[in-house]
Amino acid sequence: MKVAYINPFVQASVSVLKTLVGKTPLPGRISARPEIFTTNDVNIVCGVTGDVYGHVLYGMTAETADRIASAMLGETVAEFDQLAASAISELGNIVSGNSLTMLSEKGFMCDISPPTIIEGTNVKIASIDIPVLVIPIDIDDIGSLEIIVCLKHKEASVSKSA
Amino acid sequence: MAKRILITDDALFMRVTLKNILTQHGYEVVGEAQNGTEAVKLFQQLRPDLVTMDITMPEMDGIAALKEIKAIDSEAVVVMCTAMGQKNMVVDAIQAGAKDFIVKPFQPDRVLEAVSKLLAA
Repeated sequence: MKVAYINPFVQASVSVLKTLVGKTPLPGRISARPEIFTTNDVNIVCGVTGDVYGHVLYGMTAETADRIASAMLGETVAEFDQLAASAISELGNIVSGNSLTMLSEKGFMCDISPPTIIEGTNVKIASIDIPVLVIPIDIDDIGSLEIIVCLKHKEASVSKSA
Repeated sequence: MAKRILITDDALFMRVTLKNILTQHGYEVVGEAQNGTEAVKLFQQLRPDLVTMDITMPEMDGIAALKEIKAIDSEAVVVMCTAMGQKNMVVDAIQAGAKDFIVKPFQPDRVLEAVSKLLAA
C-alpha cells in the first residue's frame, strides 16, 4: 500500500478526535499486518469504494469506547446503548470522510458506505489480497484506538495482471 | 413563531446533537429522518422551513434526496451536513440547489450561523 493512502487517515484522525473528544491524540508507529484481524471489543467498519477501495476498521476496548462516547455526548455513558454505539460509529464515519476528502485532493476519488459496528473480540475479516496497515493512536485519559487501513488502488490490480 | 426544521442523518448521535443545538437556540425540530427516502416523505408531509441533509446514508443518499425535495418545492432550503467534503460533492450539492455545505465535525456555531442566515429573510 502506498503511504499516500495512509497519511490522510493519520491526519484526519488527529484533527477529528481533537474536535470530537477535546483531547490531542498521539499517533504511534504504523505497522503492517498480514490480514484484517482485530482483538478489540468494539470495531467500526467503514467500506470504501472508488479509485481506492477496501475497508477501514476502528478498533478499541469497551472502556475506551465508553470514554469516547461520553466525551462526544458530553455526559457519562453508563451502559453502551444505541446512542453510545451511534456516537462511536459516527466517529468512524467522520474520520473516514475527512480522510477521503484529503485523498480526493491527491486525485483519488472515493466514497464511503455507512459504518457497521461489530462487538466481540477475535474478529477476522476476509481480505481480498489487500495489504493491511495499522495506525495506533493514544488519547490521554481515554485509551488507545487502532485504525486498521486495508485499501488498494484500483489501477494497481489492473496493471498487475497486464 | 419558531422556524421549523427537519433533520436528516442516519446516525442517532448526529440527530441528537443537531436537535440539541437547534432547540437550544429557539428552533423547532419538527421531524427526524434516518435516510433520504424518509426525508423526502417527511418533507412532503411537514413542509419545514429548512432541512439538514447528511449525504452518506442507506436507502437513498443525501444528494438524491436533495434533488427530490427540490423537485417537490424549488424554494426548499436544504443545508448539507456531511463528513464528505470532496470538491465534486460540494459542487454536485450546490448545483442541485443546496444552500450551504457543512463538513463534520462541526462546531455548533457553524450550524447556527448557516441556519440563522438562511432563515433570516
